[in-house]
Amino acid sequence: MTRSERPGDTTPAPGAPLADPGAPARPDGTPPDGTPPDGTPPDGTPPDGTSAGWQRPSPLLLRARRIQAGLVTGPVALLGGLLAGVAASPAAGLGTGLGLVAAGVVAERFLARRVAAWGYAERNDDLMVRRGVMIRRESVIPYGRMQFIDVTAGPVERSLGLATLRMHTAAAASDARIPGLERAEAGKLRDNLAALGEAQATGL
Amino acid sequence: MTPLPPAGPLPPAGPLPPAGPLPPADASWHRLHPLSPLVRAGRHLVTIGTLVLVLFFANRKGTGSDLVVNLVLVALVLAGGVVSWLVTRWQVADGVLRIETGLVRRQSLRFPLSQVQAIDVVQTGLARVLGLGELRLRMAGADSSGGRLASLPLAEAERLRQHLLSMARAPGSLATRAAVATAPGIPGTGGEPADGREARDSREPGRLLFRVRSRRLAAAIALSRTGVIAVAGIAAMVAVAMLNRQPGVFASLLPLAVGVVLAVWRQFNSDYGATVVVAADGLRLRSGLVQMTAETIRPGRVQAVRLVEPLAWRALGWCRLEVDVAGPRQRRENRSESRRLRALIPVGSRADAEQMISELLTTRPAPSRLAPRSARWKAPLTYHFLAWGSDDRYVVASRGRVCRKTTWVPLEKVQSVRWVQGPLQRRLGLASVRLDVAGRRVTASIQDRGTAEAGEILRRLPGLASDARTRHQAA
Repeated sequence: MTRSERPGDTTPAPGAPLADPGAPARPDGTPPDGTPPDGTPPDGTPPDGTSAGWQRPSPLLLRARRIQAGLVTGPVALLGGLLAGVAASPAAGLGTGLGLVAAGVVAERFLARRVAAWGYAERNDDLMVRRGVMIRRESVIPYGRMQFIDVTAGPVERSLGLATLRMHTAAAASDARIPGLERAEAGKLRDNLAALGEAQATGL
Repeated sequence: MTPLPPAGPLPPAGPLPPAGPLPPADASWHRLHPLSPLVRAGRHLVTIGTLVLVLFFANRKGTGSDLVVNLVLVALVLAGGVVSWLVTRWQVADGVLRIETGLVRRQSLRFPLSQVQAIDVVQTGLARVLGLGELRLRMAGADSSGGRLASLPLAEAERLRQHLLSMARAPGSLATRAAVATAPGIPGTGGEPADGREARDSREPGRLLFRVRSRRLAAAIALSRTGVIAVAGIAAMVAVAMLNRQPGVFASLLPLAVGVVLAVWRQFNSDYGATVVVAADGLRLRSGLVQMTAETIRPGRVQAVRLVEPLAWRALGWCRLEVDVAGPRQRRENRSESRRLRALIPVGSRADAEQMISELLTTRPAPSRLAPRSARWKAPLTYHFLAWGSDDRYVVASRGRVCRKTTWVPLEKVQSVRWVQGPLQRRLGLASVRLDVAGRRVTASIQDRGTAEAGEILRRLPGLASDARTRHQAA
């Protein structure tokens, strides 16, 4: 990704105070059905102005997640079934095993949405990362605040040529990671972010 | 206490005798005080002593062998301390404090003084009796353990602290120090145990900003969660013992009672006689009844300011003011402490807090923007206090119903901004924005705003924070 593709900076004029003191103290304008006046989609996607610039993880991430889910579901179902079979009757064991497999299949249905929810955008001064279906999160991490960046890849991710990029700030709570990047892209993004971070670094 | 030479070569223009040997600028290696193994073992001695007593009274049969085991333990702890004293030495040279320690695993630690966040002098009870003090260096890293020199003679510890702090500072600030040193001394020194030390420690007297009132502190702890739990717990234990009328039941509850009393005592001990003094090198805090802690918060290191008003205290007009400072708190003897922030005002009136806040913050936005009505469905209780506010320097957010917490965060300290929306919030058209500052303790949460407003905050806050950083660096 080149600089020119980066979505435009949405920062407003500097110095403008965030809270307008003249505004009414208790804004009542937001109807409970969640259709804010500025045309935000009713599903609650925050109006970040970068909707055009969102990058997505590789489509292979879904496959990686499916393999991981399968790797967990199989042994768990087997073990649960065996335990129930030994403790109660073989029928109960079979039922438990099948039930656990069914739970795994149901969880798989949600994987696609969760994977699709991941996105990141490189802006002029900061990186935005969004994720989550049930609980939606969107983080803004200024480049100057990044302490270090690491790229990790578990066995499943490695077999598909993927990697997870993780950014660390001095705050433990700011949790910014991008899973399922192609390995070359992850390396490029890491170098890019590191260079930007060095250029804009500020003290604590 | 051993008589020590009147110390303090810094600053030369101060109202103090300029005698005393200069602390080790001569780059030679120094040892800790020979009595430090005893201080180190002190806590274990107390624990083991208690254990011996309990065992002695609980079962008189096996006392002999138990006593031997305990004595062996004490001897081992002491021997370990002596060995560690023998192999530990320290040196100050070229703006670096070096500590070499370890018998089997030899460690050589280097602490560049320019990166020191704060230097504390801590005294445990036994150390106070022996006139010793422990020097602790706090570095900026999130998990590095920092340096410890345990123990030095108290006067030498204080002198070394001054010396190290002066080396950590820019050289140009000596003039400011001299100017402050001629300012009037600390008023209101009375019969409290802190004062004798205060006079010796604060070579450059500053302006006393706050001193906690002991009686109010006791009342406040009784009214706090710890106090209420302690009273309820002890009442329940007494009730159980009365109902059963069996000494065995009471004996089995005894450790619990001791624990509860210890928790209350610990709080009282750590907050007793807390004073805050403004000086050239920052805010000087000291507190403690048996264990003394002295600490200096250098200017510009405050990451967040939090005003805490529990329900019972609110009725009396009391509050607590805490600050978060980058770097780990390292009190090994009290783990729960590290989760808490540093209390500048353990308990004080609103006026005390107002004064302290105006000292800490240049401007002071009030949490004036209340939450939208739909937030009532999501947070029926906390809704009452949900609010936020900001100007071009700080963001303030308040929340909590039983215990109201108002947090100020300087925009230039914001590390990241997070927008969060749960399922219920989505249904109600709400979202929260969280501001993270360094460390793992404070997050200012602008809770339950309308989606449009939260989106606006998320869109504009990073820009404002970046402006604040630029301004901060230019200044």
